[in-house]
Amino acid sequence: MSTKPLLRTVNLSKVFGTLPAVQRVNMEVYPSEVVGLAGQSGSGKSALCTLLAGLYAPTRGSVFFAGRRLKSPSQARALGIEVIHQEPDLAEQLDISSNIFLGREIGWPSAGRWLKVPHRRRMDKEATRILTQLDVHFNSLREKVANLSSEQRQMIAIARAMTGPSRLIIIDDPTLLLSFPYQQKLLSLIQTWQQQGTAVIFSSNNLDHLLAVTDRIIVLREGRQVANHRTDETSREEIVAALVGTNYREQLTPIIWALDSYYRARKQAEELCHQHALLERDLAAQDRVNQQLIDQLTKQVNALDSANVALQDAQRRLLTQQEEEHKHLAREIHDQVIQDLLSINYQLEEIKVDENVAATLKHELTDARDSIRELVDDLRHICGNLRPPTIDSLGLGAALQSYTHDWSRRTGVPVTLDLDAHLRRLPETIELSIFRIVQEGLSNVRKHAHASAAQVCLKHTSPRSLMISIADNGRGLTDGFDLSTLSAEGHYGLLGISERVALLGGRVRLHNQASGGMLILAEIPHPRVKQPNGDR
Amino acid sequence: MNDNSLTTPSTSEKPNLLRRLSWIWQPLIGRHELGVFILLLAVGALLSLGTDTFLTTNNLSNISRAFSWIAIAAFGQSMVMIIGGVDLSVGAVMALSGLVSALCLRAGISVTPAVAAGLLTGGLAGWVNGTLVGHVKLPPFIITLATTSIARGIMFGLTGGWPVRNLPQTFRALGQYDLLLGPVPVPMPVLFMLGLVVLVSLLMSQTVLGSYIYTLASSERALLVSGVQVARLKVLVYTLCGLLTATGGVLMTARLGVAAPTAATGYELDIIAASVIGGASLFGGVGSTLGVLLGAAIMQMLRNGLVLAGFPAYWQTAAIGTMILAFILLDYWRRQREG
Repeated sequence: MSTKPLLRTVNLSKVFGTLPAVQRVNMEVYPSEVVGLAGQSGSGKSALCTLLAGLYAPTRGSVFFAGRRLKSPSQARALGIEVIHQEPDLAEQLDISSNIFLGREIGWPSAGRWLKVPHRRRMDKEATRILTQLDVHFNSLREKVANLSSEQRQMIAIARAMTGPSRLIIIDDPTLLLSFPYQQKLLSLIQTWQQQGTAVIFSSNNLDHLLAVTDRIIVLREGRQVANHRTDETSREEIVAALVGTNYREQLTPIIWALDSYYRARKQAEELCHQHALLERDLAAQDRVNQQLIDQLTKQVNALDSANVALQDAQRRLLTQQEEEHKHLAREIHDQVIQDLLSINYQLEEIKVDENVAATLKHELTDARDSIRELVDDLRHICGNLRPPTIDSLGLGAALQSYTHDWSRRTGVPVTLDLDAHLRRLPETIELSIFRIVQEGLSNVRKHAHASAAQVCLKHTSPRSLMISIADNGRGLTDGFDLSTLSAEGHYGLLGISERVALLGGRVRLHNQASGGMLILAEIPHPRVKQPNGDR
Repeated sequence: MNDNSLTTPSTSEKPNLLRRLSWIWQPLIGRHELGVFILLLAVGALLSLGTDTFLTTNNLSNISRAFSWIAIAAFGQSMVMIIGGVDLSVGAVMALSGLVSALCLRAGISVTPAVAAGLLTGGLAGWVNGTLVGHVKLPPFIITLATTSIARGIMFGLTGGWPVRNLPQTFRALGQYDLLLGPVPVPMPVLFMLGLVVLVSLLMSQTVLGSYIYTLASSERALLVSGVQVARLKVLVYTLCGLLTATGGVLMTARLGVAAPTAATGYELDIIAASVIGGASLFGGVGSTLGVLLGAAIMQMLRNGLVLAGFPAYWQTAAIGTMILAFILLDYWRRQREG
């Protein structure tokens, strides 16, 4: 990373009327750095992005880009700043490729800026190339953008930012208008831009997105910069604390579904605390009763917090111990019981070859030996389930391959396994948890789905997170399905999955596919893995 | 899971000759322009049947000469209207640029630099309007009303209220000579107008500048975000309007042979009316140069026709006004329907 910042703001402030939107922000962005902007709505993220793009004139302070002071949006774009706004700012009456090349038309003479005659075919060709890169296709590039859906329009705005060489791309949370696959597309684009040496400022309300792709996260609250953390050295909790600005900062993953009331109480407390803050500011007078109430509620929330933390810890310990126990048990069975059985088998073999033994007995001996062999096979299978032997030595991918192959053979249901080509070794607990999730998922398919095919997919969605999907073509979820009723009925498979995912700080979603059958999607964060994408 | 596409795969389109020449035929068959053209033919036919004097070479030559400078100024006005503005100073600027040329000629300067000085004056007036509208962001209505007053004031100041007469023959030739195309005498101003209609049409339909001008009224922010220097674009459009207006003004002065400080009074309304009748929307974004030409033609033809038909002179203004109102209503309804 070079030592000279690409973009620098000095006491940057913007006031609308009497409302301060951005207050004394001093930030720096270095070449090929991805900086996240976090903040609740109204915290000044959009105003800051607009200021950085030169679209607003600052009330005070200034923005420097590559050592030059920014004065106008045209200067900003000429210097290599591209902006993708929350709402796509397109020329409604122009067609798709004219919009993509707006302000950068290709034509003759190439130097004659405004007197240029656009070369439609070359623009269309180039536009198609960019849109293909974005996985967006249109019947005709002559379509007016006014007739397109907001998602399509947003993708065109993204395409517009990709027409020229850029040094900084400012992204002001366009994901509101994008569906999930295109959100993922944008995240992977951010990484591609970074590899090409472009700096990115990524403003988002989605902490997962920010944690996944950024190098640094700046938190804004009420227009002020309240935190600036390196993503590798911070935690979700720290960012949330900065976002909310409260003392009780632990944001806990909901592992115990029955704790609904806990969240309600907590929310009330937060609201009260907020109200209190307002009262304090407006009246500048302390309300004793209110204070007591707040104290009480804070205590209550703290107690609930620690209870929840303890529960999570207990759960985690339980799972770890269970795994240890399984490992131990598997070793016992493998090293002791199976070896004993094999030696008994060997002894029987010796008896059988003895010529003094009667023919009938020999026959029974053969039967007994077959039974023992089956028993050994069964035990090996149990061992495999208790502790996949391949996972320690060969890793998650191999373990999953061997498991799904075996599962398919036993159940007669074909499984396609789709593994990320860049899958690397992860910490043991994470690998094991993922294996268990797949195990539970497939066992759920076998027991309930009545499926004729299943699919397991494991992909990196970013260098810091992994997406597991288990799909089948069976019955799917029943109407009015609710995770919390499962435990009452004694079904723990799906609950097990959701708990494991929650303990890893991830999220799980269950839903029916349009084509029928259920889809389990689990996204799990993990420590950053250096992607070998650079060799593309 | 990732094989998503918003619509079916694209098919590439090949622009054929027809599409490439769309700038010629599109304004011709554009609904509005075609309507105006039919109306023009209808009024012409009616007047030809109703009077003996209408369909004569001499009369048609007079009509076309009389609307040519209005049309040339309206080309500029329509550009300003397409970007969502208005220039009320066109009448005064026409007179001022004609007067500056005339004063130069009277000072002994030869025709070419004198005409250039007149055009520069118009360009400068447009630049002042554009700078105040584009950079200072003041409403064009007020600005151009003020510059009208300033221009008139300068004219009275320069001449003391007296018209400038006795302009050299070489200059008057610009407005008074006819060029014989076969048996048809075509007045010089009409030739200028025809040349300019091609030039301005090309500019508006073929270049990036034209596309920006049409886009500006409805999507100024999109242009800003794309790095287009919007303020400079506005300055350029007002300056071009000033230049075209000056061209009209110089031709008018050459035709009349006199430059009076009170010349072209009220022309701004005729020019705006020609633009509106020709299809330029008062709300911006719509309009074509050819349409504006037709608009100017129809106005002059009506005026001429009403005289020939013996319509009481005092009522003529009301008739023209009614027609302008009808076209403005048409523009409003069109916008309503298109949402």
